[in-house]
Amino acid sequence: MSVCRPARCLFAKATATATALPKATPQRSFHSSAPRAARRRRPHYASIKAEDLKQLSELAEKEYPRYDTSEVSLLEKQYTPAQIAAIKAAEATIDPKDVYMQGSTRDDAWRLPYADDLAEVDPVTDHPEKLDASAIPGKFYFREANEVERDANMARVASETLAKLYPDGVPEGQRDPAQQQQLEDAMEAAITQAALDPRSSYTGKNQAAIDSLADPRHSILAQDLPRLENRMARQTRRLSTDEEEDPREKQLLQYMGWTKSQLKKIRTKTLVAHGVVNQTRMGKIRSMYYLTIAGNQDGLLGVGEGKSVEPEEGRKQSIMSAIRNMKPVPRYENRTTFGDLERKVGATKVQLFARPPGFGLRTQHLIFELARAAGLQDLAARTPRSRNKMNVIKATWEALTEQRLPDEIARARGKKLVDVRKVYYGGSVH
Amino acid sequence: MSLVNLAHVCSHLQNASKARLGLTSIPVSKMHVNLVLGLQREGFLSSVTLGGVSPPKPFLLQTQPDPEELEHMAQKLKAEPWQAFNVDGGEHTEADLGKEKVEHVSVPQNPARRRLWLGLKYWNNEPVLKNMKLVSKPTRRIWLTSQDLGKITRTRESSYVKGLTHPGECMFLTTDRGILEARECVERQLGGMALCRVW
Repeated sequence: MSVCRPARCLFAKATATATALPKATPQRSFHSSAPRAARRRRPHYASIKAEDLKQLSELAEKEYPRYDTSEVSLLEKQYTPAQIAAIKAAEATIDPKDVYMQGSTRDDAWRLPYADDLAEVDPVTDHPEKLDASAIPGKFYFREANEVERDANMARVASETLAKLYPDGVPEGQRDPAQQQQLEDAMEAAITQAALDPRSSYTGKNQAAIDSLADPRHSILAQDLPRLENRMARQTRRLSTDEEEDPREKQLLQYMGWTKSQLKKIRTKTLVAHGVVNQTRMGKIRSMYYLTIAGNQDGLLGVGEGKSVEPEEGRKQSIMSAIRNMKPVPRYENRTTFGDLERKVGATKVQLFARPPGFGLRTQHLIFELARAAGLQDLAARTPRSRNKMNVIKATWEALTEQRLPDEIARARGKKLVDVRKVYYGGSVH
Repeated sequence: MSLVNLAHVCSHLQNASKARLGLTSIPVSKMHVNLVLGLQREGFLSSVTLGGVSPPKPFLLQTQPDPEELEHMAQKLKAEPWQAFNVDGGEHTEADLGKEKVEHVSVPQNPARRRLWLGLKYWNNEPVLKNMKLVSKPTRRIWLTSQDLGKITRTRESSYVKGLTHPGECMFLTTDRGILEARECVERQLGGMALCRVW
């Protein structure tokens, strides 16, 4: 430790007043880079040599020349003086040198996917042209036409349509049968169209308002897309009636003796899906297992399993087998089971209890799905032992489809059986 | 009155029907006899016969009336249908219709060697009597009133006895009017000790 320091502190004040010491640099630097003032100033413009600039303007002039007098006279034929002034003003704002230096065809992701100067409205790619009420000159008033006016309007509209179909006029003189048929068809179509046209149903003093009724630009509905007619479009077009044929589905329809509309009414739901592995000497073969239920929600219920290396294939298999396995489920009053049922599959025991009307399906989700597919409405259930999903579904299905019916029990015991529920309340139960 | 023997009967009948036996035997007691007669009345059993250790002759091996006799009986009954109802104590019935054929079964003198032979029933490849369980247990008897039975036969629980919820389920009770079915007890407003339930 130095002994000089306390001495300097003692005299510091006296010396400070006597001589102005230079400002001390900050002990600590707050920034890693030098402050802005410390940097060398960059010019706002690049310094270009005069001959380079001259060469550039010559090249730009050559590439984008000014309009000469013949071109201006051509433009005057096409455009009004105001439009020409606008064109000139627009071109004056862009320096040809900049266009020469920077101008290039777009290659960004947002460029238009087709070559177009955007001069015309395309009905497919652009928004359709829309007109509102302000585009109609005069009062837009019209009233319903009476019968005479309607006939006159229809005749006028139909003749307009026919004139469009036959721009060169209807063929005169003797017509061959094909021509005659074509003409009759055209006339019939024109009259039908005229009957549907709003211009024939309404009339008024302002013809523009009447015409706007049939103008698609005034319609709030979108215009129909143009119909593409070429070989490619015809081959790839699919009607809603000829859907793709699944060979498995076709086989199923033959097996069940059903139509497609009947098959569409069947509700299917895949309740279990998991991967399974077959260990072979070559290695493990993974495949997917699916368990699907099918029901018509009116007393038919089926459970099907499918397994395949391809997930979609296995799923399809299970759906088809579920539909094929559908069995009738006897339902009491079309809503619940005949008494309590119990079924055991493996370590799984399922108990199903019949319940009064309005009780609902108070069961676990798998049994709920089965009951819903079968069209049961009132049911309670317990799965007191194992709750293995596959076994719960199988046990429930077996319990529902293999019920002992009261009639059968009565026949077996040789007793007479009457359901008194249908006797009381004037038989208006259920 | 031991319920242990009844428990044995219950499980034996379940086992016999699972094994698809046509005829089986149980030990004889007054309660067993009344219970199996109740079961037969409800249609669970086809026949109840008191016999020995060997089974009684099956119906087909019993002596049957001749076809001529049957024809004669049918003609007679068609002409005089009242003969079927034992008119005037049935004095002329035997003379008119012929003697009734009754199969005599030899019952051992020793009560310990007597057995009750029961014919089991099957329908559509399924036993008619599938389940038979005790309600009262040897250590816990359950007595039910007719009010309880009214609830139980309408599938509701009462006095810790579950309702008769299975299709065609029956419960037998021992009452002071004999062994009766639960619905019969309700009809006659009787209570009693629950024995077993059958379905």
